Amino acid sequence: MADKTKTDSPNEDIRIMLAELWQRHLPALHERLNLLDRTAEEAASGILPEPSREEAQAIAHKLAGNLGMFGHNKAGDIASQMEQILKAPTAETLPELAPLAQSLRLQLAPSL
Amino acid sequence: MRRILIIDDEDDIREVAALSLEAMAGWHILTANSGASGIEIAEAEQPDAILMDVMMPDVDGPTTFRKMQQNPAIAHIPVLLLTAKVQGVDQRRFAGLGVAAILFKPFDPLTLAEQISEVLGWSSLPAQPDISRQSR
Repeated sequence: MADKTKTDSPNEDIRIMLAELWQRHLPALHERLNLLDRTAEEAASGILPEPSREEAQAIAHKLAGNLGMFGHNKAGDIASQMEQILKAPTAETLPELAPLAQSLRLQLAPSL
Repeated sequence: MRRILIIDDEDDIREVAALSLEAMAGWHILTANSGASGIEIAEAEQPDAILMDVMMPDVDGPTTFRKMQQNPAIAHIPVLLLTAKVQGVDQRRFAGLGVAAILFKPFDPLTLAEQISEVLGWSSLPAQPDISRQSR
């Protein structure tokens, strides 16, 4: 368990621990972003195989729920938009994944 | 000291929620990565409350909650569901379950303890004396 008296402020303790956790989970985050990039590329034609769709939807859902905890609210919103497209994709909405995946990376770039 | 069981398949969520509740409220945290293991831990440890993810592989949060309600050993433990922001039909589905509250992801680690305390009617102060606070 972390030492709660590391600083005099629980808020500051949490911020420090969140920063450490973020660093620890970066490899997993990179994998998830890479998967979303690959899916977006695959979906550009307006068709996406079901296994790819299902996997990407789960990843987007996790990112939508997690990124905001670390202060990346805008990135979390983008992940949520991707999740909604992947939940019920159409030939018109699938190509939207690519620019969203790009925006997601841009939002997170300073922290990656 | 309050004891909270966090059930979520995501490592990130369990870790952040645990450190948040420990740091901000001094609660003792138990964790489980599935509904099945969560039920086992709840039976053994009798936590004061359970914070549980909705979307989990195999058995989801609502199904796990129903199993808990059918288990006399743990049916009394208040359960808070943790879910991505939802609308319409999903909100109605969760409201009808009988959980203590629905909290939305992403949560703010700095206010999670306060949110939980508020919905459960607990004092927001740590249950144990904080020596560092007393010495200020």
